[in-house]
Amino acid sequence: MEIIQIVGIGLMSTVLILVLKEQKPMFAFLLAAATGILIFLFLIGKIGGVISTLQRLAESSGMETVYLKTVFKIIGISYIAEFGAQIVRDAGQESIASKIELAGKVLIMTLAMPIIGIIIETVMKLLPA
Amino acid sequence: MSWLGGWLREIILIVLLATFVELLLPSKSMERYARLVLSLLVLLTLLSPVVSLLKGNAASELSLAFRQADGGASGPSGTADAELRRILADGQKLAAGGREQSLKLAAQQIAGQMQEQIAGETGKRGANVAVTLALQGEADGHSAPAITEVIVTLPGEGSAAPSNAPGGSGGGSGGSTPIAVQPVEDIKVELGEESLPREQGESAGGADPASSGTEEERGPYSEDAKAVTALLEKNWSLDPGKIKIVDGGADKL
Repeated sequence: MEIIQIVGIGLMSTVLILVLKEQKPMFAFLLAAATGILIFLFLIGKIGGVISTLQRLAESSGMETVYLKTVFKIIGISYIAEFGAQIVRDAGQESIASKIELAGKVLIMTLAMPIIGIIIETVMKLLPA
Repeated sequence: MSWLGGWLREIILIVLLATFVELLLPSKSMERYARLVLSLLVLLTLLSPVVSLLKGNAASELSLAFRQADGGASGPSGTADAELRRILADGQKLAAGGREQSLKLAAQQIAGQMQEQIAGETGKRGANVAVTLALQGEADGHSAPAITEVIVTLPGEGSAAPSNAPGGSGGGSGGSTPIAVQPVEDIKVELGEESLPREQGESAGGADPASSGTEEERGPYSEDAKAVTALLEKNWSLDPGKIKIVDGGADKL
């Protein structure tokens, strides 16, 4: 039961962080970051399982791999950006956290550009000159 | 009808995937953006028959566009240039190798023709001809092969027999094979007796007595050499400095 492990790690680290925060706020932040990374690593295997299942399904049904790659890129960018932003937010740097989120959004929008380009080109060709 | 089935299946799969991915997304702030890209993907899938009608395969177009976007973002024009230069250099190397091989082949064929001409005109069978070809005028880009050197090894009257054995491999296989048997007889004699056959062998090989032998053969040999030089000069319009006539017996020394 991974959820019990994860909740246990979370509760323990919360108590420890609360205690440490009084004495050494720096270590409290490091502990929070380490806990976050630990939980993220726990989940990475599960997300990998989901993604490989999706990939297998898409390949067996003959779906184009480009679409799947784009979707996976969106998931990866949003997870990594979210994780980094939360760690920075925990350290009290709200502005940097929002910048990281902005970077994630921009990168996702960059993924949209080629698709938008193809769609617009097609529509322009459909229209009479 | 099968394309319709494939199209519908692709749409259904994309929509399912989009719904699932929306659930997987970590935060609300990213959701709008991710939803935009996913909906664009669904739209592209819906339009894919039109896209394929107007431009080509939609998926390959998309992958091409992604590759172009990646290339523009990372700016690997320098590496692309290096790659191109490497490929061009490889191609030039391959072309040079092929040119060298074709030159060798052409030289062999020319040597064979010269051999036949020498045999036909002077009656000297088994002359070994080695032709060296080289490309000239490479700076202009219009390089043409030219004969730089012709070495003709003429078989001597008596001493030519042993010297022709290696020459036979050059091209004149018809004339050289019966002569090639003779050195074997020489060796047999050498094994049988000690002093006499060795002297014979030396005289045949042309060590000390060979000088006298060549002196005896000098007359007809130089005539042959002149005839061969004139022949090659006339037939191949060669510079006489490029033609080298080697006596088979002298070559053995």
